[in-house]
Amino acid sequence: MPLQVLIQFAQAHADFRIPELLSVAFNYGFKVDLPPDVNVNRPFMTVTLQEEKHACLIAERCILVKSVHEYFASGETYSALHERNCVQNHLWEPYKHTSWKFVVTGYNQTIPKARQRTVVEGFSYMALEGRIDLERPELHLCVFEEYSSKGKSSLRPRYEGDGNFIQVWFGRLISKGTARALIQKFDVKKRAYYGNTSMDAEVSLLMANQALSSPGKIIYDPFAGTGSMLYTAAHFGAYVIGSDIDGRQMRGKENSPGILRSATQYGFAERILDLVTFDVTRNPWRCGGFFDAIITDPPYGVRAGAKRLGRKPGVPLRDSVTAMKDPLSYVPPTHPYELSTLAADLVLLSRYLLKPGGRLVFFLPTVTDEYAEVDIPQLEGMAVISNSLENFGAWGRRLITMVKSESIDREPPDLRVRSEDIDDKHVPAHKDFREKYFAGFSNNVPL
Amino acid sequence: MVRLITHNLLACHAKGCTSNNFPLSFKDIEVETREAEFNADFVTGILPKLAWTALVASAKQVGDTSLPEEQPELENVDEEFLKTLHHVLLEIHVESGEMICPNCSHIYPISNGIPNMLLAEHEIA
Repeated sequence: MPLQVLIQFAQAHADFRIPELLSVAFNYGFKVDLPPDVNVNRPFMTVTLQEEKHACLIAERCILVKSVHEYFASGETYSALHERNCVQNHLWEPYKHTSWKFVVTGYNQTIPKARQRTVVEGFSYMALEGRIDLERPELHLCVFEEYSSKGKSSLRPRYEGDGNFIQVWFGRLISKGTARALIQKFDVKKRAYYGNTSMDAEVSLLMANQALSSPGKIIYDPFAGTGSMLYTAAHFGAYVIGSDIDGRQMRGKENSPGILRSATQYGFAERILDLVTFDVTRNPWRCGGFFDAIITDPPYGVRAGAKRLGRKPGVPLRDSVTAMKDPLSYVPPTHPYELSTLAADLVLLSRYLLKPGGRLVFFLPTVTDEYAEVDIPQLEGMAVISNSLENFGAWGRRLITMVKSESIDREPPDLRVRSEDIDDKHVPAHKDFREKYFAGFSNNVPL
Repeated sequence: MVRLITHNLLACHAKGCTSNNFPLSFKDIEVETREAEFNADFVTGILPKLAWTALVASAKQVGDTSLPEEQPELENVDEEFLKTLHHVLLEIHVESGEMICPNCSHIYPISNGIPNMLLAEHEIA
């Protein structure tokens, strides 16, 4: 039975809310109809779902969802709300005889207990005849008064009550969000093995949802580092493979590889399929088209040196290496891997390695003042489906989700030279990101 | 780790090594067996991508002869076959030793289950 559902979102990562919701729906194969006037900056949103159990799936899997409710009515004042709620009586009358309770909450505002009681009394026309049960009611009714965040931090008391809020919402709780608790479980500071480039828990969970992680899939991180994305993808059931040019990042200093120790702590070490040390531009994959998703936070060149095998352009490679007498201790020379080349190569390589329909989920750092949508590498056969900004002021990073929209068999891409497949004429804002970062993103050009 | 499923997807990419560079040959290896949860969909999903002859040969190298020489047709696979394949692909771990390219003899060392597949300076084109 189709129903209107009221979603209450958590107060972070607003730009990521809709992409996550749509990814989770796609993952479980259900439809979500968004309202025509979506405003991601409001914490409440009504959507249409085909079945109540889909609402439960949203609450179970979306990191950014605090609760989901069957939506009854809303209004800019209580009289508007009650007028509309009366017309919805077919939705709440079936609960006339069940146990019930009301919870009245303010968003960006505290509501004094006395007024909460007055609000509940305002609903007496609903004539609920069942007993009140504060522990486990069958009908858990929620009233949310949504206040603006303006003036929230001022010391003067704000006016609250009818007419002072943006909107009041009313519905029946279907489920509290349980996925948010995973943020604590994957807290980096509690992890057996982590490093200074480890991605924070909340964002790595969002990435795993964008990548549609689920049992039976293989997901790959070509810049695995300390494994942050591998854990969250594995948590949702996928098998994961990690590679990195720097084996020490994956191993750590102990005998047993760090990534395995963290995965053991989380209880899914067996889903770390393998970890392999290699340069992704000289990768040993025998063929393409076998990964369900590629999920990664590539090195920007700031905290982690983005590097690749070989020497700087113009410096000849030696054609035999006497230092290779001991292969175990030989360290091949590397040179910097500039970010815009890396990003373009990542998209190109992903098109080859992904199954048709597979997703590439990665962060692209951007310079706020210079960013344009065309900065995202354009490539035939790879389509952008979402682009969510984490804003740090002068710079930010965008979580890009792309899907492989073609099914042609291609030759493995040659990552030694820039491919003609990639549109080279536009200079993206993230070119030479490292240099811009250390120059403080100022535009001063020395004369 | 270094499970046979991954090993079946790795080839030598040294300069000029474009044929007979797969599968990599095992040498001086230590092998461990660890149970993994069986997922029929996963095994069926990866089956079309496997290089069968190479897989059978590599399995023999690590001491397992349970696979048939011929890759069965997708319609004829039964759960018993999938479980055998699951065991070979996912439950056998080459924890240390070497993988050697049959063409150029490059040695890829494995330590603590992680293979080092970086190429030397003279091997990148």
